[in-house]
Amino acid sequence: MPSAPQLPLADDLFLTAHDSVKGKSLLTPTILGLGLAAALLGELVLWRRVDLADGKIIIIDDQATGDPAVTAVLDQLLREGHHREVRDWIAYLATGIASDLVERRLSRTGLVRRLEKRGLLGTKVLFVPADLMIAGWPATRVRTDLGRGDMLDIPDLMLAGLILATGLDQHVFATLDSRGRDHLFDQLRRRLPAMLQDLIGSAEAAVGEAVMARRA
Amino acid sequence: MSATTTKPPHPSELSTALARDRLGVAAVVFFVMSAAAPLTVVAGVVPTGLAVTGLTGISIAFVAVAVVLAVFAVGYVTMARHIANAGAFYAYIAQGLGRPIGVGASWVALVAYNMFQIAAYGGFGAIASPLFADWFGIDLPWWILALVVWALTAVLGVLDVSVNGKVLGTLLVAEIVLVAVFSFADLGSPSFAPSAAPLDPGSLVGAGSGALLVMAVTGFVGFEQSVVFSEESRDPRRTVARATYIAIALIAVLYGFAAWAMISAAGGDVLGRAAAEGPELFFNVAADRLGSTALHLGHALFLTSLFAAMISFHNIIARYTFSLGREGVLPRAFGRTVPGTGAPKNGSLLQSALGLIVIVVYAVAGWDPLVQLFFWGGTGGGIGVLLLITLTSIAVLGYFAKHPEGEDAWHRIGAPVLGTVLLLAMSYLAISNIATLFGVEPGSRPTWMVPLAFAVVTVAGVLWALVLRSSRPQVYAGIGLGARSSGIGGSFSAAIAGDVGTGDTRPDQENYR
Repeated sequence: MPSAPQLPLADDLFLTAHDSVKGKSLLTPTILGLGLAAALLGELVLWRRVDLADGKIIIIDDQATGDPAVTAVLDQLLREGHHREVRDWIAYLATGIASDLVERRLSRTGLVRRLEKRGLLGTKVLFVPADLMIAGWPATRVRTDLGRGDMLDIPDLMLAGLILATGLDQHVFATLDSRGRDHLFDQLRRRLPAMLQDLIGSAEAAVGEAVMARRA
Repeated sequence: MSATTTKPPHPSELSTALARDRLGVAAVVFFVMSAAAPLTVVAGVVPTGLAVTGLTGISIAFVAVAVVLAVFAVGYVTMARHIANAGAFYAYIAQGLGRPIGVGASWVALVAYNMFQIAAYGGFGAIASPLFADWFGIDLPWWILALVVWALTAVLGVLDVSVNGKVLGTLLVAEIVLVAVFSFADLGSPSFAPSAAPLDPGSLVGAGSGALLVMAVTGFVGFEQSVVFSEESRDPRRTVARATYIAIALIAVLYGFAAWAMISAAGGDVLGRAAAEGPELFFNVAADRLGSTALHLGHALFLTSLFAAMISFHNIIARYTFSLGREGVLPRAFGRTVPGTGAPKNGSLLQSALGLIVIVVYAVAGWDPLVQLFFWGGTGGGIGVLLLITLTSIAVLGYFAKHPEGEDAWHRIGAPVLGTVLLLAMSYLAISNIATLFGVEPGSRPTWMVPLAFAVVTVAGVLWALVLRSSRPQVYAGIGLGARSSGIGGSFSAAIAGDVGTGDTRPDQENYR
């Protein structure tokens, strides 16, 4: 099978979090928001715009990237110089900002479409994968690579980490055998940079806190 | 924490967004009171306690416990600002007295909370059974009704359906109003004669004082949850402290007054009536003033509020179990949620399984659901919570001995020392008065079973912590941090932790770019 194109990290996570049969989100809006928030911050790290150290964000380059979603987050980081805690930024971006940015980026490329659902209490706007094949791309790619014993690149390793942190692994990695699992864990341990490990760890902790506070 | 951040020159969108849900004093008081279940205590625990222990000094016990808890709360609320996972006693104990005792305490709390919950199943069955016979003319054994509410709680728990905050709030206000109205009605009862017995300070030092104190502690369980909002309150230094004192005072006044009015209005033989009428005593003494409509309303509210409290408490236990699973203090499976709902399913299933076993055992053995399940379970859990509070008070001292920065001597040392001394005395009285509390012969099985169970669970927890220290140091390091722990509970953290230590396996930061 020809390998599907790799999208920006947060887009891949968004697609992975949507059912490839019905297009519905597999995660609660809060948990998806936390995952996407961490993914966007991860993209900034991959663009070499920020570093993360001791739970704080350090801007190392303030040039725009050409990617609207990432640039929007970077602009806001520059505006809000008083706030540098990774934890606060994940919480803030997860209030709907990250989902919004990612949905807009994906609609621009036509990979998701806007769906208006009329209910009893007004209209709800949903974004669903335009093509059910598309929703399955990233997860299939990661699973195939792991099944073959191939190395994942850093964005895909980060994606796999966020799949674990959000609990999506109960869907995505359910069919992975223990060898594939060990292979993944080993790569996460050895090849994923420490600052990205910490970022995913922060996202996972935020998910745990949301569950505790009944916000999940 | 956030008190030290300087104000940005322009209004920050981030600060505004994160501050939107900050809570004030009233909201925190309300949350704490909603865990208190006033009718269950006033109509359930107090009359049953009168019948079982034969002691009437309950009002002064509520006041005394309130004073001790208020002194304890000084250090407790102060330490809450310094640690993660505030609201769980073991988080304080892990930091102040060491992680092994912390794990032991976390398991004791799990047992104590489950005792409350399962006691409520039994109490519901025992209280609802005669009411159903009265209302619908159907004679159902207590355990069928207990199993019905158990099943409803289990299903709602797995689906993580919570009682809507407004419904819960309305029920709470209705309960408080009802307790107040019934108690004032008692004052006009023909048999009312102001009784000095409930207020006699001598009962706090006399025989059976420990039993009274444990009953009173049971009424306050839930006050410790106020500190959950330490990070989310408007003013971290004031909001939570004020809310805690207000909640403690409200509970003491409401329960103390209601118990005094009920005993005063019950006539000469209050103990005999309590034994004969049970929870009905609370309703009966006010009945001739209020009429049968108020009585039916009171009964209906009694059952609905008990059921609402059951659902809430079940969810609290499921989340507490989830938090321990996330830390690696319980098996990892408990740290998982259902992705589509965020429900901590396995913790909920565990609670339901324990509940089912106990209900079935009691039904088969033919044990009394009101005294031996509701009252023993509830007060047994109360002993567990009292021991946890005592350990926490010592832990506050231990913590501030190591981290004295930023707090004055009264908050760090004065109040915690005073609180610890009082709590140690209360714990001693509680343990030595179990026979009176349970209404059994000194030395009989229930008197040593309860403390032994807590001791065994504590020792098991300590041993488990020592196993973790040598086999999984990263999990050990995260004990007490709750869901924020970097233990192994989360799937990702588990993957990263692996079987070996990290550190040396971490790649060079730059080589991927």
